Amino acid sequence: MGKKVLVVDDDPDVRLFSQAVLEENGYTPVMAKNGEEGEELIRKEAPDLIILDVLMPRESGIRLYRNMKTNKNFKNIPIVILSGIAEKSFLRSQKVLTEFGGDPVPDPEAYLEKPVDGEELADTIKKILG
Amino acid sequence: MNNKNKRSLVFRKMMFVTQFEELGFGALQSLLVLRGAGLEHVILLNVIERDRVAMHRGLGYDKDEERRLKEQANIRFIDWAESLFETGMEVGDYIVVGNVVSDTLEAVVAEDADLIVIGQRKRKMIEFFYSGDDIIELLRRSHRPVLIYKELESNSCTDTCLADNPFCRTLLAVDWSPACLLAVEYLKTMKTVVQDVSVIHVASPKELKGTSSLDIQKLRKEKRGRLEEICEALEAEGIHCRSHLYVGEPVTEILRAAKEFNASMIVMGSSGTSVWRERWIGSTPRTIVEKSPYPALIIPHAKEDTDQAE
Repeated sequence: MGKKVLVVDDDPDVRLFSQAVLEENGYTPVMAKNGEEGEELIRKEAPDLIILDVLMPRESGIRLYRNMKTNKNFKNIPIVILSGIAEKSFLRSQKVLTEFGGDPVPDPEAYLEKPVDGEELADTIKKILG
Repeated sequence: MNNKNKRSLVFRKMMFVTQFEELGFGALQSLLVLRGAGLEHVILLNVIERDRVAMHRGLGYDKDEERRLKEQANIRFIDWAESLFETGMEVGDYIVVGNVVSDTLEAVVAEDADLIVIGQRKRKMIEFFYSGDDIIELLRRSHRPVLIYKELESNSCTDTCLADNPFCRTLLAVDWSPACLLAVEYLKTMKTVVQDVSVIHVASPKELKGTSSLDIQKLRKEKRGRLEEICEALEAEGIHCRSHLYVGEPVTEILRAAKEFNASMIVMGSSGTSVWRERWIGSTPRTIVEKSPYPALIIPHAKEDTDQAE
């Protein structure tokens, strides 16, 4: 069984697309449609990598990202952000939240702006997971 | 009272319901002042009404139009969300095809939002006749505070306080109902945002009929005393407050007071009148929402959440 990759995205088309790319490249996909579900699955499935959207209902990717990167059990799980939100805005949000008293968090392992082609997604994952 | 009823009175999560033409990014930005009072999460909601995509004669459901409208909304929301994220705000979004009232209430329950913000759309008389007013329906069914956002005319917005902060000069209309007392509690939690409160009670002329001047003075004293209690509670939180007693028809007098005190917003509790009475006779909050040029924050009775999306 291939390495486990969790996809957290509210867009069913993106989940379907990511699932196909992951399966084609020998990974085991796990799907979550919002941050809350994503956090639950991280604890349950302990994925090797997370593909994370930022703008989602319930719990946004910003919150989930911070929760993971400040948790000693999960902070080493690599996260690839896959979002329509510009990387600059994501990084600024992290900076502001840290300034407001949050713990500092590292930048994500990769940031891909939607839409992304399958090859680019697969290459990014391969580079991180080896 | 179970735990579900013991909600915090801080507006931490705001549901911003927009069809874009009536409520834009400017409105959203002005509401970010609530951040000083604990706002940390904004949920953007766009409901595409079914009749825009469905049941066109000979075409049936127009999937392409749905996709186009959703993408259009998504592009706007991404743009807004980027700005909000950069201020450290949490943001989520929903773009759905359905009914504004039902889908808003459903999203409010799913998100456990503390405040609903909605703009008033101009509807054609025929639309109003057939489907009624979404806002009135939302007010009737929501168990969470609803802010009906309206842009104040530029001539009534002469100072920067009003331009930057829709809550800065609040007119609180009270009738001592549970909902209106809850409104006082909400204002207390907004002490860093609300600068000035004018508390007003409108006494009915009927209360004065046939009584002696002594009785009238007694009534005035009693009402002023009760208004002062509210003022004292607000002033204890550091909010500047003045009380005023008016006599007359409630809607007319509340709007008169709002104008006299150059209010930026009207805050009031929902009347809690029964559905049929509300529909056929109307209520003060309903008429204020319909007639007032001012934004209005309507605080409902505290009820359980379970029947919210009924």
